[in-house]
Amino acid sequence: MSDIKDVNPAEDGARGLSRRQFMGGIGALGALGVIGGAVAQVFLLPDEVIAYPVSGGFLLVDQKKCSGCSTCMAACAIAHHGAANHSLSRIQITQNPFKAFPYDIDPVQCWQCDECVQACPTGAMHVDPETGVRTVDQLRCIGCLRCVAACPRAVSAVQWSEEGHASQKCDLCLDTPYMDDEGGIDGRRACESVCPMRAIKFTTDLPEQTEDGYSPNLRTENWASFGYVADIEG
Amino acid sequence: MKKGVLPVLGLTLALGLGSLWAVQATRSEGGGLLFDSAWWLVFLAPFLGVLAAGLTRRQDPRIEGDRVLRHDGAARLEHWAHGLGTALLLATGVGLGFLFVPRLVRDTDGVWLMMNLHFVGVVVFLFGTFYYAANTIVSAYRFKEHLPTGNAFSFTVQHYGKLLGIKKFTMPPEDKYFESEKMAYILAILASVGVILSGIVKVLAHLMDLPAWLVSAATPVHGVSTIAMLLFFVAHVFFSSVLPMSWPVLRSMFTGYVPREYAEKEHAGWYQRLSASESTTTGKEA
Repeated sequence: MSDIKDVNPAEDGARGLSRRQFMGGIGALGALGVIGGAVAQVFLLPDEVIAYPVSGGFLLVDQKKCSGCSTCMAACAIAHHGAANHSLSRIQITQNPFKAFPYDIDPVQCWQCDECVQACPTGAMHVDPETGVRTVDQLRCIGCLRCVAACPRAVSAVQWSEEGHASQKCDLCLDTPYMDDEGGIDGRRACESVCPMRAIKFTTDLPEQTEDGYSPNLRTENWASFGYVADIEG
Repeated sequence: MKKGVLPVLGLTLALGLGSLWAVQATRSEGGGLLFDSAWWLVFLAPFLGVLAAGLTRRQDPRIEGDRVLRHDGAARLEHWAHGLGTALLLATGVGLGFLFVPRLVRDTDGVWLMMNLHFVGVVVFLFGTFYYAANTIVSAYRFKEHLPTGNAFSFTVQHYGKLLGIKKFTMPPEDKYFESEKMAYILAILASVGVILSGIVKVLAHLMDLPAWLVSAATPVHGVSTIAMLLFFVAHVFFSSVLPMSWPVLRSMFTGYVPREYAEKEHAGWYQRLSASESTTTGKEA
């Protein structure tokens, strides 16, 4: 059985450099270039050091004050999505009746740390340059969920949005298309405004950090007005 | 073992090992996305395809006794690399969700596994596609024989009507590829180009700071191209594997050969050309 080869002279180099040789050359050069670039990136370039500025504001939630009414979740979903759908809320209230007070209700608000920003491979999760708030550019999000996994909270403060096909998180109401008032550091936060227990408070001071993040004491005059014992001294 | 099945076996092995790598990377400490850690393979695969084309000596179709060589080793390798890569990309792409398709995997481990398997699919797909493209540039006539003629549309309607039993029509002598296949080829090229260009933007987003409008444009383009690819893939599998009349060609995608009788009956135009070329060669040799 004889092999019948292509007989086009341009392919076999009857007139100088053949197409086949040209392709081989392009392929070999390109492959060497890519491998060289990858090696250079690993061995020659120094590790990049990135420092993120501290957020301009934080949400404090007093676990002992929270009654688990989920009003904040409804307000958050309405402010950001125009729908009172708890699945769309960026603040999560989880409840476990088998746990003892105050751990039976766990309000999960974003701590504005930078774990999610560090984990994002595309820069979609970023620090807002003006306010320092950690937020998502949903157009850039590729949906890898690394931010969700990186969140230090047991229930992630970053969620996957089925609506936006991208991650979403608390932006301190920087971007609230369904809220009349201005949000953000100098504006109004929907969850803080509606909390009937006044268990959510906004601060521009960096909260005292503990192993468990921060759990502030908001049981002051407002708390007393409900007839509960205030814990002004903490 | 027959030599003809080597390309298919090699690709199956590559996909198997790649899938194991994807699983291992997903389970590793802290988890990892291969698009992040092994991005360079995405850019290496096309050049390896071009290099392979430069090193490949193709064999032209020919009549050998009672059979006809239809797909040489290179044709089988590029077909299965493109096809198996596409199948893996479509399966994982649907799992990850796009455009109007909701995400099927919910937890992070599931998403990373899908993304890592998608990565393996990308590498195999790009190798196969660029191997084909470079082979086609080397031998331009292989591209031309895929292009539809002026009658392609009416012939396609008649051809599928006949296949489905709703039309009676005597087709003119078909060439190596049916006119209907040539129409589908255009769709496959457009979908591949759309998927590759938008996919490259999505991979580059892991490496550099791209403008948001570019990344946001790439996502829907990737989705639309995927839908086109999905349509082509389903139709291609149905007409080339499910319908009994296509089984000889499917077999040739493993062995390289179709029965002479089949070529004579279904691809009369092509068979006549091969016969004429054979007699010319024999005449010259004599």
